Amino acid sequence: MKALEITGLSKIYKTKKAGVVNALSDLNLVISSGEVFGFLGPNGAGKSTTIKAIMGLIKPSKGDALIAGVPASDPHSRLNIGYLPENPSFYDFLTGREYLYFIGTSFHMADNLLKSRTNEVLDKMELSLAADRPIRGYSKGMVQRLGLAQALLHDPEIYILDEPMSGLDPLGRALVKNLIKELKAHGKTIFFSTHITADVEAVCDRVGIIVNGELRAVDKVESILEKGITGYNIHVRTGGDISLFSGFDFTERDSGILEFYTSRALFKQFMEIVVHANCEVDLVEPVRKNIESFFLELVEKR
Amino acid sequence: MFTNLYQLNLKWIIRDRVLQALVGVALLLLVLVPAFSVLSMRQVQELSITLSLSFISFVLALLAILLGASSVWRDIEKRYTSAVLTLPYSRGSYLLGKFFAIAVCLVCSAAIFTLVAAVAISFSSGLYQSSLPIRWLHIFTAVAFDVLKYVLLVAIAILFSSISTSFFLPIFGTISLLLAGNASQEVFEYLTKDSVGVKTAKPLLYAAKGIYYLIPNLGAFNFKVSAIYPVALSSQGVIYTLLYFLVYTTIILYLAVYFFSRREFP
Amino acid sequence: MIRKVLFIALLGSYVAVIVPFSSYLGNRSIVNKLGYMPEAEIVKFALGDLRYLASQWAVFKVMLYFGGMVDNDINKLKLPPEYPGMSRMISNAVRLDPYNMDAYYLAQATFVWDVKDSAKEINKLLIYGMRYRTWDYYLPFFAGFNSAYFLHDYNSAAEFMKKAAELSGDPLFTTLSARYFHEAGRTELGIMFIDSMEHSAKDEKVRTSYHTRKEALLNAQKITDAVNRYREKQNVDPNTIEELISKGFLNKVPVDPYGGKFYLSKNGRVESTSKFAFGGQSR
Repeated sequence: MKALEITGLSKIYKTKKAGVVNALSDLNLVISSGEVFGFLGPNGAGKSTTIKAIMGLIKPSKGDALIAGVPASDPHSRLNIGYLPENPSFYDFLTGREYLYFIGTSFHMADNLLKSRTNEVLDKMELSLAADRPIRGYSKGMVQRLGLAQALLHDPEIYILDEPMSGLDPLGRALVKNLIKELKAHGKTIFFSTHITADVEAVCDRVGIIVNGELRAVDKVESILEKGITGYNIHVRTGGDISLFSGFDFTERDSGILEFYTSRALFKQFMEIVVHANCEVDLVEPVRKNIESFFLELVEKR
Repeated sequence: MFTNLYQLNLKWIIRDRVLQALVGVALLLLVLVPAFSVLSMRQVQELSITLSLSFISFVLALLAILLGASSVWRDIEKRYTSAVLTLPYSRGSYLLGKFFAIAVCLVCSAAIFTLVAAVAISFSSGLYQSSLPIRWLHIFTAVAFDVLKYVLLVAIAILFSSISTSFFLPIFGTISLLLAGNASQEVFEYLTKDSVGVKTAKPLLYAAKGIYYLIPNLGAFNFKVSAIYPVALSSQGVIYTLLYFLVYTTIILYLAVYFFSRREFP
Repeated sequence: MIRKVLFIALLGSYVAVIVPFSSYLGNRSIVNKLGYMPEAEIVKFALGDLRYLASQWAVFKVMLYFGGMVDNDINKLKLPPEYPGMSRMISNAVRLDPYNMDAYYLAQATFVWDVKDSAKEINKLLIYGMRYRTWDYYLPFFAGFNSAYFLHDYNSAAEFMKKAAELSGDPLFTTLSARYFHEAGRTELGIMFIDSMEHSAKDEKVRTSYHTRKEALLNAQKITDAVNRYREKQNVDPNTIEELISKGFLNKVPVDPYGGKFYLSKNGRVESTSKFAFGGQSR
């Protein structure tokens, strides 16, 4: 089941000053149901453009986006989406509760369900105390949390979150990360954009990296991490004979433990020596580039 | 579905200071009508009707322009659009929700104003006996057509908002069309149907005709004459003007929805 | 596709409505209203540079109003003309812009004729204008005419005409000496003035109004001539116009284009029930 299917999506802006700007060129992406997908890219890379095209706020110059099989140009496609805009702002003359009521009725929720769900999401987003105050008086973090609350309210299958962690303090960030994990556990699909690599590592199944309007890489977070392994740190207890290990760097520790580093290519050879020498292995630890360096490499590659 | 947006916008209008202030001003002016009316020596009643209708018209015009021009613009300016237009609504229902909420607000305000005006007029007419009877039906008709006129103006303000990114076109475009629409009939007649035989240059005449049929004929909604003076209310006029209102407003809203649906919100 | 059809249907219904609608509008009862303008001093402060525009607007408003009076539309609601309002508007216009010739011109074209005993006021206005429009011979010409025709102050009239002659370099004005004013008949003087005005008038409405006036005066002149001939032959004043016709001095009663009826006053002068002004009968 494909939750989101983007084919050949391009967006060209014609401006008087800069001429033709390719905000997005030929983006192809399929997000399957139940997946947490992180959309990573520097500022101005085209993350928001993609999301706005999915949400029908802008019209792609080419290509199209299907949401659970329904074209994004059809308002019905949004019935199954919980959307959090980037730096959201909501009708500030309403109270938080009134706003959620408006959202709930917009998604045809029955009154009873709406009332109980409202309390639930307000509680979850720690907004219960502020619920009956006008949004005008909310702090930035509170508005962001209200944004998440309104995305959660109708319990959609697909979540599209544009920079969900921005504007939040560390507590709020933890709240969002836990929320995403919880939604994933319930089998929901989450597509979120971010420019913070640690967020991706923490919660995503897959990640797409977009730079200058082009999708540079799409891969499983696991396999990026695995591919990123450059070598291993290995702690070995030897009987004293270390001549077998000639050619490998090591540092000696107090308690007769030798700390080796081997490159990925030599790992097998090293382990054979270990077996041959009949040594005891205390620790094998992969040394790898994290997503951040992977990301930086992609961004710098022209 | 649509009623949601409509209720949302009603809430906005009711909680908006603009409406509260304007309604306050209107009620104050209407209460002062008897005091102003005695300034006329001979026609206290006529003057009280004239003043009441003018005050109501003036405040309705302000309401229509301010609410109509600001509603869409404000949503874009405050970035509410990214939250609302991404709900499962069509762009059309978003615009129409605004339009009907403002229209209903105009109708309700006008109803309240008329009630107060009725008291003011009755009181004023008691101060000096007029030779003319007060014809309430004519007065109500005059107000009703005023409301229709300003509802049409709201549609125009929304059309301008749907294509403009700034505040200027909706506000000043609407004001210009209000002025031009009020004068179009007179100017058109001055230029064309002239018993004395003013010779208007041909190209100017065609331009005048084109503009006359293009811009809203708001002068037609003026039924104040028969409310103030002993002139019969033409049922033909009522029907034609009503039909004109319906067709013209529908076309304007159609265009507004057409342009707004194609608009991008980057 | 459906949308296109819908839109075309909408346009079609617009055309279907606009035809009877605009023909109804062309025939509906209208009220020719002058509107209201705040005092010039207030407008001046409020508008700053735009005051000249406001001045012109005021003149235009009076013009439209006056035009409406000249047209005798059948479907127009007959209301007494608002001369005080018009005069206030004109006075506002010249206070906003003392150079506004249209304002003086309009005053001379309307009030001085239509409003009884207004010549003195209009002359004040013209003298005010002369302080600014120092090159303009029309203002002294108007003032001179008013002095002679309405105020019978022939010496001032000659003074004004002299000034007009100096400014224009046209010898015609110099011939209009005080003596000339004495000798020429009143009606004749009026016709002469109107003739010169009618030729120089640009606006159709104003020209029409002059034309109407000239016609009235010419018709009055016809009767006056008949009265004079009657006096010569009969050595006595006629009592009525009908008497002139029955005795063969006049073919038929000339028509007053203002809608009134000519009659002979006690001293044998020709008068009309319209007082030679639109709406004159109702006053």
